[in-house]
Amino acid sequence: MPEGIQLKNISGNNLEQCLKCSICTAYCPVSAVEPAYPGPKHSGPDLERYRLKDNRFFDEALKMCLNCKRCEVACPSGVRIADIIQASRIKYSTHGPILRDRMLANTDFVGTMANRVAPIVNTTLGLKPVKAVLHGVMGIDKHRSFPAYSSQKFETWFKRNAAPKQDGYRKHVSYFHGCYVNYNFPQLGKDLVKIMNAAGYGVHLLEKEKCCGVALIANGLSKQARRQGEVNINSIRKSAEKGRVVLTTSSTCTFTMRDEYAHLLGIKTDDIRESLTLATRFLYRLIERGEIKLAFRKDFRMRAAYHSACHMEKMGWVVYSTELLKMIPGLELVMLDSQCCGIAGTYGFKKENYERSQQIGSGLFTQIKEVNPDCVTTDCETCKWQIEMSTGYEVKNPVSILAEALDVEETIRLNGV
Amino acid sequence: MSSVLNKDYDVIIIGGGITGAGTARDCALRGLRVLLVEKSDFTNGATGRNHGLLHSGARYAVTDPESASECIKENMILRRIARHCVEESDGLFITLPEDDIHYQATFVEACGKAGIKASVISPEEARRIEPSVNPDLVGAVRVPDASIDPFHLTTANILDARRHGADILTYHEVTGLTVRNGRIEGVQLRDNHTGEDSEAHCRLVINAAGIWGHGIVGMAGIKLNMFPAKGTLLVFGHRVNNMVINRCRKPADADILVPDDTVCVVGTTSDRVPYETIDDLKVTQEEVDLLIKEGEKLAPSLATTRILRAYAGVRPLVAADNDPSGRSISRGIICLDHEKRDGLAGLITITGGKMMTYRLMAEQATDLACRKLGVDAKCRTAVLPLPGTEGKSGDRPRHVYSTAHNAAEGRQGNRVQEVSETSEEDRSLVCECEEVSVGEVKYAIEELHVHDLLNLRRRTRVGMGTCQGELCACRAAGVMCRTGMEADKALADLRSFINERWKGMRPVAWGSTLDEAQLTAVIYQGLLGLAAGKG
Amino acid sequence: MKYDIIIIGGGLSGLTAGITLAQAGRRVCIVSAGQSSLHFHSGSFDLLGYDVEGKPVTRPLEAIGQLGAEHPYAKIGFERIARLADEAETLLNEAGVKVKGDSKKNHYRFSPLGRRIPAWLTTEGYAVCEEADTLSWKRVEILNVQGFLDFPTEFISAGLKKQGVVCQVKSFTTDELRHARKSPTEMRATNIAKVLADRENLRKVADCINAVSGEADVLLLPAVLGFSDEKSLDELKTMVEKPIAYLPTLPPSVSGVRTAILLKRLFARLGGTLLVGDKANGGVFKDGRLVSVTTDHLPDESLYADQFILASGSFMSHGLESNYQRVFEPVFDLDVDTAGKRAEWTKEDAFDAQPYMEYGVRTDRDFHAIKDGQTVGNLFAVGSVLSGHNPVRLLDGTGVSLLTALQVARTITERR
Repeated sequence: MPEGIQLKNISGNNLEQCLKCSICTAYCPVSAVEPAYPGPKHSGPDLERYRLKDNRFFDEALKMCLNCKRCEVACPSGVRIADIIQASRIKYSTHGPILRDRMLANTDFVGTMANRVAPIVNTTLGLKPVKAVLHGVMGIDKHRSFPAYSSQKFETWFKRNAAPKQDGYRKHVSYFHGCYVNYNFPQLGKDLVKIMNAAGYGVHLLEKEKCCGVALIANGLSKQARRQGEVNINSIRKSAEKGRVVLTTSSTCTFTMRDEYAHLLGIKTDDIRESLTLATRFLYRLIERGEIKLAFRKDFRMRAAYHSACHMEKMGWVVYSTELLKMIPGLELVMLDSQCCGIAGTYGFKKENYERSQQIGSGLFTQIKEVNPDCVTTDCETCKWQIEMSTGYEVKNPVSILAEALDVEETIRLNGV
Repeated sequence: MSSVLNKDYDVIIIGGGITGAGTARDCALRGLRVLLVEKSDFTNGATGRNHGLLHSGARYAVTDPESASECIKENMILRRIARHCVEESDGLFITLPEDDIHYQATFVEACGKAGIKASVISPEEARRIEPSVNPDLVGAVRVPDASIDPFHLTTANILDARRHGADILTYHEVTGLTVRNGRIEGVQLRDNHTGEDSEAHCRLVINAAGIWGHGIVGMAGIKLNMFPAKGTLLVFGHRVNNMVINRCRKPADADILVPDDTVCVVGTTSDRVPYETIDDLKVTQEEVDLLIKEGEKLAPSLATTRILRAYAGVRPLVAADNDPSGRSISRGIICLDHEKRDGLAGLITITGGKMMTYRLMAEQATDLACRKLGVDAKCRTAVLPLPGTEGKSGDRPRHVYSTAHNAAEGRQGNRVQEVSETSEEDRSLVCECEEVSVGEVKYAIEELHVHDLLNLRRRTRVGMGTCQGELCACRAAGVMCRTGMEADKALADLRSFINERWKGMRPVAWGSTLDEAQLTAVIYQGLLGLAAGKG
Repeated sequence: MKYDIIIIGGGLSGLTAGITLAQAGRRVCIVSAGQSSLHFHSGSFDLLGYDVEGKPVTRPLEAIGQLGAEHPYAKIGFERIARLADEAETLLNEAGVKVKGDSKKNHYRFSPLGRRIPAWLTTEGYAVCEEADTLSWKRVEILNVQGFLDFPTEFISAGLKKQGVVCQVKSFTTDELRHARKSPTEMRATNIAKVLADRENLRKVADCINAVSGEADVLLLPAVLGFSDEKSLDELKTMVEKPIAYLPTLPPSVSGVRTAILLKRLFARLGGTLLVGDKANGGVFKDGRLVSVTTDHLPDESLYADQFILASGSFMSHGLESNYQRVFEPVFDLDVDTAGKRAEWTKEDAFDAQPYMEYGVRTDRDFHAIKDGQTVGNLFAVGSVLSGHNPVRLLDGTGVSLLTALQVARTITERR
């Protein structure tokens, strides 16, 4: 027998490793509440065999998949179940996205427009008649509040206040801030700059940054997502060539660019994959290698509950954020059961998904109320919206907690900045 | 206890393969009173153990032009009358660097002579239309090959025969021929489920028992020069190809890869085997090795694709009467009038041929039968569509989702309308890999001669998917119980079904297939406590 | 990253070892590639269900002494089994997995086909009986959720009727359950459990059960309650007038999922780190010791520890792998007890003892793994990845997982 024959089983997204054990079905947040969704095993590896025969076996119900990847995390056989589902949506879906989906998907375009007139937009989006129109005409659920738009974009703040001094540091990183930091919550970006500067790193923006496209992919706009992805990857590559690692503060943007670009959009990323990383991972590793030290305020006290965002779990990076948080002496960290919050990016904003989205998250919300922490912490901004809206507890990115707990002067001293 | 079936038949057909089923249909359509008897289940012999290939005839164009032109004619007929069993995939005959490219011209010319449309396409074009094909190919010819499902084809013929008055008895084995005054007047039967004996009378017996036909005529002291030729095939976990891929050279081992429903099948080997082994064929490691090695040349990805199972069938090869050595084997249709040949009236043997020329075989046998019985009726099987293809697909409202409906339609054709989809339970799936609903299982039990899980599998594909029955076998056994099967019998049946599935997995039990076998054992033997002999 | 102990595998044996070591104050990290075979759990834990001849075992501690020297129990030492069995029971109960049973004497659980199967510990609520051939019920009703296919009531009732029990099969449904059955595929035990986690939904089920059930000593229900805790099980008990007992269903097993969740929660509470959905893919060996391991998700990270435990399961969990040529252990390519020729891996009858079931990692008497013929001083193997026993034949799988994990955890804690 020639070398290599039947030594490995190679199939698209490990389709054939599926043993039909059905374990994934127990962890699908959607099929738990929505019988019209055929569940991960059936939507993925089961039906894929039929779709290979005839594309009429594509079922539009696959749209209900959140792409949370919890099925993949649960799978003992390494089947990329959600990738099979997403790839088949890209390949076979005949229903184009509606205007609402395009609007929700184009977070950066809408964000750019909104920032300019933030007070008006925030008020307008909050008004009942406007919500009714959004609900009725656009299909955006009336229960949803859009995250408030900041009056000043992060980029604008950065250029005015931070950029000039960044070249003065000895070491440098780039920062992919993402739409959320730029338009809605610049404070998180400011927090990161604070920590990195204290540790002796200059922070720089990328030459060009587009929305990572996670919402475009989810809404079936894969062509546009690919175009934006190419722009991002080129910028990241340029940064990497300068020796600057690109940091992020969003687990979803990170996951999309590191994994989904290659798997779903066919963008070549293998050369820059390791130059793109979550800030908490970067910091943890610097500390572990003894390259930097962080000092924390003696008077800092907090009881925080950590929620493992789906994509964070899929990347396997929960450990970096939690191990980093555990370094803060005044912080008590409670691990919440790992389950989906139900928002899944733009998914929960659609009126047809609202109820399902809330049902999916209900177990998590109950547990948070039972734990009753000072705040919840998670690496994903859409989880933050969902949990804040559904529980009333404040949700903070681990980077923000680090920044809050950081003893800046002592850190600067320790790192000889 | 011996009982006599109180009906006089014109014809008793022995064998529930496609030839017997087709002959029963043809005879019934011509107004004959028909009984078909089968010792096991339909399609239990060669019919259920081949490629499922609707040959264009191209494979035989150079070596056997007569077969080739039969094939293309029947190919076109089956596309019309059995549309629901056929997938019009087309086929490629590829020339690899190790093959003689000059053969291609001979091949194309011979196809032309046989009436087979064969167009030479460039290797680039071949790679484009069939991305799984060996990229090293140096030549390709496109022909109208297709895939055909022999299980559903047989079922459709049986249903139509029944509709035209034929009686069908499965698990009834012929134990003797009733001969009086040099003429056959009936058959003795044993019910293989109950062991009961019975007798049936007729004017004519048609032996359509494939390789087992050797034994049937032997009961009347007649000798046929039949040689069992074993052919082994491998089933892969999913389709790697959407077109049939053949080698453009003289027919040889393992040179056809056929996309069948959700899987693809490579085969076959060809070895003479002793007659005693035909009821229990075992796949050998050498055969598996050969199939993988040759299959990989057709589509390289087979080398890394999960193999679900291996299976083997027996071709009934017949040597010419004047050649007892068996060297001059015919692959064509053989229709023997034993009155002429052996002086025994009332017995016809129809054999040779191919699964896909069954209709023509049935026509020839029925023509002869009609002549003998003095019936003047024309064959209509070439024009009348089979149940499943006839009529319209109907426009039932689609329920929560339609994939199971579509899958059932792929198997039962337009008869899918008879499958109950009204209740939520009927729409729920027994077999998730192959999309078989409770409704379809019930339909098969009620309408398609289902006595056990093996029968059910052949009518519906329950347990034919990736997991080979890991959960669905138990669910299906539960449904069988609810429709009247005794619990103990259902459990015994469940056990033999698990064993039947294992028989095919075992020769290829490595990688995911071994993992799957362990999981199945953990579920059935560990969790469910199903074990041989344990009460 | 540096831990005291790194465990590869987050199933029953990995979690058991992890919890025990975390309780002893060690920093433990478990690398877990997907969910475990607890998802096929019957609700019962087995010490030894059948002897080597296939006869049911009544007194497992005594019968264990008859097992061969290669059996993991023999390596633990027969005299320690009883103590470890008690510890295992304590650990499960500490995690909130309420189990009952006695290592001195097996009781019997019911299979989803209605058969009586020897068991050591059974999760509270499940139907059990003390002897193989006597039942305490005269009259039972089997109540199934309408349209739930993974609970073959016909087989169960046929089995009970043979014992002379008067047995009736009934079904019930509610709007919520009917809604769940709208899915052709996803009305599995675990899906039903999620629907019935809601107290209101459960109340309606209780009303249905009270309405449909007639004269019966016990109502037998499919085990479809309690996905992440036992709340709904306790609640239903108070809501239903008659005694209830549960029977296992086809997978996924609700009580198995719950057991996994409860064990993970305890491990997290003890400060353990669990890398979920990540797969160990190799290690660095030096001077007969394992220095560090790497994983798929953390490719440029090395996970260092003083001691390592391999608890990665058998073939179906991919702790063992096979290909056309050989059987191997995929993470470290440890020495494996196996037959060379593929034809010898299996037997023709699916119900015969399949040789491959006994394949596994070769270890010394202390469960140290062996690589290239050399014992690795700080790498242990526990649970189903071990060679030397056939869990399907002997019904000793969960016992071996629990007890070898406890034994190795003890070896590690005593070592310092």
